[in-house]
Amino acid sequence: MMSKRVLGFSLAALLFLALFLAPSYLSAFKLSLLGRFLALGILGIGISLIWGYTGILSLGQGLFFALGGYAVAMHMVLVQVGDKLPGFMARSFKPRITELPWWWQPFESPIFATVMVFLLPALTAVIIATLVFWRRISGVYFALITQALVLAFTTLIVSQQSYTNGFNGLTNFSTLYGFNITSESGRVGLYLVTVVALLLTWLLAQWLTSTHFGKVLVAIRDGENRTRFLGYNTTPYKVAIFTLAGVLAGVSGAFFTMHAGIISPKDVGIAPSIEMVVWVAIGGRESITGAVLGMVLGNLAADSISSQFPESWPLMLGVLFVIVGMILPKGLVGIVERFWPHRQEEASPALNALKSEVSDA
Amino acid sequence: MPDKLLQIEELTVSFDGFKALSDVHFSIEPLSIKVLIGPNGAGKSTLCDCIIGKVRPATGKIIYKGKDISRAPEYRINQAGICRKFQAPGVLERLSVFDNLAVATRQNRSWQQNFRLNLSKPEKDRIEETLELVGLEKRRNLQASYLAHGEKQWLEIGMVVSQNPDLLLLDEPTAGMTAQETAKTAELIRKLVEKHTVLVIDHDMTFVELLKAPVTVLNQGQVLKEGSMEEVRSDPEVISVYLGRAHEEPIHA
Repeated sequence: MMSKRVLGFSLAALLFLALFLAPSYLSAFKLSLLGRFLALGILGIGISLIWGYTGILSLGQGLFFALGGYAVAMHMVLVQVGDKLPGFMARSFKPRITELPWWWQPFESPIFATVMVFLLPALTAVIIATLVFWRRISGVYFALITQALVLAFTTLIVSQQSYTNGFNGLTNFSTLYGFNITSESGRVGLYLVTVVALLLTWLLAQWLTSTHFGKVLVAIRDGENRTRFLGYNTTPYKVAIFTLAGVLAGVSGAFFTMHAGIISPKDVGIAPSIEMVVWVAIGGRESITGAVLGMVLGNLAADSISSQFPESWPLMLGVLFVIVGMILPKGLVGIVERFWPHRQEEASPALNALKSEVSDA
Repeated sequence: MPDKLLQIEELTVSFDGFKALSDVHFSIEPLSIKVLIGPNGAGKSTLCDCIIGKVRPATGKIIYKGKDISRAPEYRINQAGICRKFQAPGVLERLSVFDNLAVATRQNRSWQQNFRLNLSKPEKDRIEETLELVGLEKRRNLQASYLAHGEKQWLEIGMVVSQNPDLLLLDEPTAGMTAQETAKTAELIRKLVEKHTVLVIDHDMTFVELLKAPVTVLNQGQVLKEGSMEEVRSDPEVISVYLGRAHEEPIHA
């Protein structure tokens, strides 16, 4: 009897093998596109952990994604311009900037930028989660708070044109740790590093969900009050997992920025934050692999559809979300599970109960 | 050790002006069973809610092992040794029977120290013991949502017992059970009292009878009568408010 877990692992192993070999059969353009979506897969795993496993819906993962993305982009912009000011600062007025702002300066160091990719989202997530979860705010109120935070953050970026290049975002960069990631070999290298990062994240999530900590997360999702009355202080559990998801979103944002060559408010605002959640829902939020599949396949499909129907795309996305929520709560993975022969006792508890009663007698 | 495990004094709870409990005095001695009965809305569940910290009283004290716990956080009350089985089975539906017990049994509740795959040997033994106690050994790997209703009730009793509480609150443990299951549950509870103090809430008279324990009758948020089942049953006041509420409905033992 092949258990669901073994099947899942073999399937995932095959997928990762195909991903590692992708540079040999995909064009440079497609490879870069795939790399960008795999980067989003890392964020998807975070959504699966907080939403699928713990039941916390966040519509604000774009905030953490932005922090990671901007941290790496600030560094790369500074590498590109050398001793001069970045172009948008040199051209800036109101306020007119004549020297690099103090909070930009440390980003000249690649190590500082790398640390910030983890640290900024982590600190932000800890603060938000602690304040909100300690007040026992959850469910739709929490989702609204996260959404408001994303809106506030993107508004801030746009309004601070002189410091952030506003709506245009940060772009025109190519070098990280001395490697040119826009060259042909650099692109392949970046792609492979992305796949490794995704694999590590995937393994981390698999391990985490199998620990006792992971079981308590599911317990919180199924009945947070019940879990409290079993003697668990659920708040630190929620803060910890929300912070991990925030860090994953930050890492994802950093990789995305390197692949895309740009990070701007439109990549991190409310719409993309919701879109991320939609893809995870479609893939299957209660499955780590499902979340990655949903994110990658969904974005691949969206890439062609949204360019053909740019206006009606958000509407289609919304309808898709509603449909999935109503008929496919477990997403595409749920369909696969339905056709996978269950263990008998799970398939027919009544029959099984009858059997054991007969054997007891 | 004080002679009472739990002592409730002048407890009053009000919901927007409605007094769910008013001036309730109640106590329970270590290693005994006590039964709380009363008509719907008498405040039985509210009393339980207060003990476990779900509802905060307006006035009054809940003294447990010599300390007032009426304002302590839920998880602390639990960690001090009070566990409750809820009226609606509160099993964790998506975890297996074994994992339900694992979550309940695990001694260490702090998140930083739970990143490990295996339970300790004593914890495993405890889970096996509990599975046997509630008769769910054969169901260990089944997802809890697939259990029959009576089995869910037993699993939840198992979950609270496996935490080895000093005070066990059982809120309608036999709700929805067949007569046979009810008898089995009564037997189970009489076994529990060897190691735990048990407070049972129920209104199934046959079941309460089987427990052979002192009874407290609540009515409209107040203690109406305390005594043995026989005393309570013959009390005219109790009969009028509860037992014989419809006078044509005699009580069957």
